[in-house]
Amino acid sequence: MPPWSDFEPFIVSGLALGGVYALSGVGLVVLYRATGVLYLAFGAVGAMGALIAWSLTQAGAPGWLSWLVCVAFAAAVTLGYGAVFGPALAARGPLIKAVATIGLTLILYGAMDLLWTTSGGEARSLTLPTDNGGFSIGQIQVNWTQVIALAAGVVITVATGAFLRYTKLGTAMRAMANDREITATLGVPVRRVEAAAWLGCGVLAGVAGLLLADLVALDATTLTFLVISSLAAVLIARLRSIALAFAAAIAVGLLHDLLTPITSLTNYRDMTPFVIAAVGLLVLSRHQVLAQSREES
Amino acid sequence: MSRRIFAPSARTMIVLAAAALAVGAAGCSSSSSSSSSSSTNTSAPPPSASSAPAATSTSSCGTSPGTAATGTPIALGAIVTNQPGTSFTDIPNMANAYFACVNANGGINGHPIKLYIETEQTNPAQIAADAKQLVQTDHVVGIVGNTSIIECSVDSSYWQKLGYYIIDSGIAPECYGTPNSAAVNMGPRYSSDGAVQYALSQHVSKIVFDQSNVPGTGYIAAGPNALAKAAGVPIVQLTENVPISDADSVAIKEVDDAGPDGAVVLNFTPPEALVILQAAQKLGLEDHVKLWGCSTPCNTDFLAQSLGPKWNDKLFVNAELLPPDVTNTPTMNLYKAILKQYGSAVSGGIGSFSQMGFTEAEIAVHALESITGAYTVASVNAAFKAVSDFNTGMLCQLWSYGSSATHIPNNEDSTVTPDNGKMVTAQGCTLISAVDPQIAAYRSAAGTAALEPGS
Repeated sequence: MPPWSDFEPFIVSGLALGGVYALSGVGLVVLYRATGVLYLAFGAVGAMGALIAWSLTQAGAPGWLSWLVCVAFAAAVTLGYGAVFGPALAARGPLIKAVATIGLTLILYGAMDLLWTTSGGEARSLTLPTDNGGFSIGQIQVNWTQVIALAAGVVITVATGAFLRYTKLGTAMRAMANDREITATLGVPVRRVEAAAWLGCGVLAGVAGLLLADLVALDATTLTFLVISSLAAVLIARLRSIALAFAAAIAVGLLHDLLTPITSLTNYRDMTPFVIAAVGLLVLSRHQVLAQSREES
Repeated sequence: MSRRIFAPSARTMIVLAAAALAVGAAGCSSSSSSSSSSSTNTSAPPPSASSAPAATSTSSCGTSPGTAATGTPIALGAIVTNQPGTSFTDIPNMANAYFACVNANGGINGHPIKLYIETEQTNPAQIAADAKQLVQTDHVVGIVGNTSIIECSVDSSYWQKLGYYIIDSGIAPECYGTPNSAAVNMGPRYSSDGAVQYALSQHVSKIVFDQSNVPGTGYIAAGPNALAKAAGVPIVQLTENVPISDADSVAIKEVDDAGPDGAVVLNFTPPEALVILQAAQKLGLEDHVKLWGCSTPCNTDFLAQSLGPKWNDKLFVNAELLPPDVTNTPTMNLYKAILKQYGSAVSGGIGSFSQMGFTEAEIAVHALESITGAYTVASVNAAFKAVSDFNTGMLCQLWSYGSSATHIPNNEDSTVTPDNGKMVTAQGCTLISAVDPQIAAYRSAAGTAALEPGS
C-alpha cells in the first residue's frame, strides 16, 4: 500500500470529478421524479453541446458565447425531446421510456462522429479560463475549474432540494413523482411541469458537458458514456433522494481516483461506479427486507 | 370527428419521418460502421474544381501529363478500421487521391487504378469477409493502403495462401512479423522504441511507459523494456483503460512514478495523449519530470496547437515520416499539391496519416510501372515484392520489400517537438536500436537500408 502522501493529490481530482457526477446525478433524479424518464442521453447532449462550443471558439466566437450556446443547445434538445416524445410515452413503463432515450443518444452520437471526425488523428480540447488560476494545498495544485466543479455539485444539490421543497413548481414535481394522474386531476398543469423538468435537466446536461469536456476530455465517446458513473450514484439514491445521489456521486469520484496509486487495483478502478452501485443496492435492499420483516412480526 | 382522428396520425407520421431522417443522418455518419462490410467503390475521384491551383504541378505524378487513362482498370483493394473514436480512413483516401492524380496523367501504361476500400469495425468475421469480398467479388490484384487494428492478425494467412504481398500501414504484430506484409510506418512498438530511445539519450534516470489497455500491449512494451534494460535505466510499465475518464489521476501517477529526473513516454491516440498532457499542464506537472515522450500518433499539428508553448522542448515525439512543414523536396511538394487538388476526402489534411497513404500509393505505382505484361495477382505481387531501395521522399531510409521472413523496412526515425503550434525537428534521422530483438532479427536478414537523399 502506498504512503498516505501518495493519495493526497487524488483527493482533489476525485472531489472535482465527483462534483460533476453529482451535478449530472441531480439532473437525472429531478427529471425521473417529475416524468418517470431515466434520461440516458444526458451525456450525449452535453457532449454535442461542448463540441459545438469548441467549433464556435475555433471560429473566433468569444468564450462566453460558446458556453451559452452549449447550455442552450443541451437545453433545447432535451426540452424538444421531452415535448415531442414525453406525452407519447407518458403511459409506458420506465424501461421503455429509458430505452427511447438511448435512441436519442445513438442519433447524437452518430451525428458527432460525422461532424467531428477523428479519421485524421484530430485531437480537440476545450479549456476554460479557470484552468489557469488556482492555489496549492501542500504540494497539490488545485485549479479553479476543479473548485467550480465541486461547488457546482454542492450548490445545485442544495438549490434543487430547496426548489423542490419550497416552490409551487417543486411541490408539483414531487406530487407528480407520487402519482401523475391524481396530480393532473388536482389541476396541476402536468405538461408544463414536465417541460420545466426537461428544461432544467437539459441546462444541467450542458453545464456538466462543459465542465467534463475541460476536466476529462472533449471526446464524444468519453462524454457520452460518462453518464454511467452518474447513473451509479442515481441508482444508489433509488432515483429519489437528491442528497443521497450527491453523496454517492462524490464517493464514486473519490474512490475511483484514490484507487489510482494502488498498483494492484489501478487497472480495475473504472469498475468503481458499478461496484459501489451493486454494494449500495444490496445494502439498501437488505435494510428494506429487515424493515419489512420487523413490520410483519 | 374525422379531423380529430386524422390529426394524431399526421403528427405521428411527422415525428416518425423526423426520427427516420435523424436516424438516417446518424446512419450516414456510421455507414462505414455498420456491421455489414460496406464496400466503397472509390474509383479515383475527379479533380476538385473548387480547389485552388497548387503551387507545384501535380502532373508529375504520371507518365503522360494531362492525358487521362482510359484502359482496363487495375483493381487494388484496402481494408481500413473506421469506427467511432478510431478511424484510419485518411490513409487509403490519400492513396486514392494519389491514384486519381496518376489516372489523370496517363495512368499505368494507360490503365487507371481503381481502389476498393472496405471499412471494418474490429470484427474478425467481418474483416475475413472483407478480404474475400476484395478477392472474389472485386477481383483486386493487389492490396495497398490497409490500416487496421487487427486486419493483419486476421487475414495474414489468407494473403499468404493466395500470394498477395501487402503494402500497408501496420499496427498488429503480424504486419511486421510475417513474409507477406510490409508497412511504410513503424507501428506502435518501434515508434515507442524511438520515443524511449530519445529519452534515454537525454540521460533520464527512469522511464514510465504508459499505453492504452488494448490487446497487444505486451508485444509493444517488450521493445521499450529491452531498450531501458540495456541502458540500465529502470522502467515502469502502465496501461490505461480507454477512453480515459480520469486524466488528472493518470497524469499525477505518471509524474509520481517517473520522478524529477525521469521521463514519461506515452503510446496513445492523439485525443487520449492530449487529455493526459493537458491534465498535466492544468495541474502544473509538465515540469515535474525531465521530459515527456510520445510515439508517432502525437506527431500532429492539432496536438501542438492544443498544447501551446509550455510544451516547446518539453515533449518529444517520435516521427516515422519526414516533417512536412519543414521539408521542401519535390516529393513533399507533390504530396501537398495532390492533397490539395485530389484529397477532398482526406479530412485530417497534412499529417502522418495522409503521408502514409501517399507513400504506399507511390510505392505501388512505382512497382506497377515496372510490369510489362498483364496486371495479374502474380505479376502485381511479384512487382510489389521486388521493390528495393526505393526513394519515397517521405522516410529517413530507402524502402524495400524483399523476401525476408519479417518486414520492418522503416526502422530509422526522427524526433519532433512542439514549437508554438507546429511540430519541428528536435533530432534528425536516427536508427532504432537493434537492442530490440525484432529489429536485430530484421536487420540481420535484410540489412540496414541507406538513408534517403535529403532526409
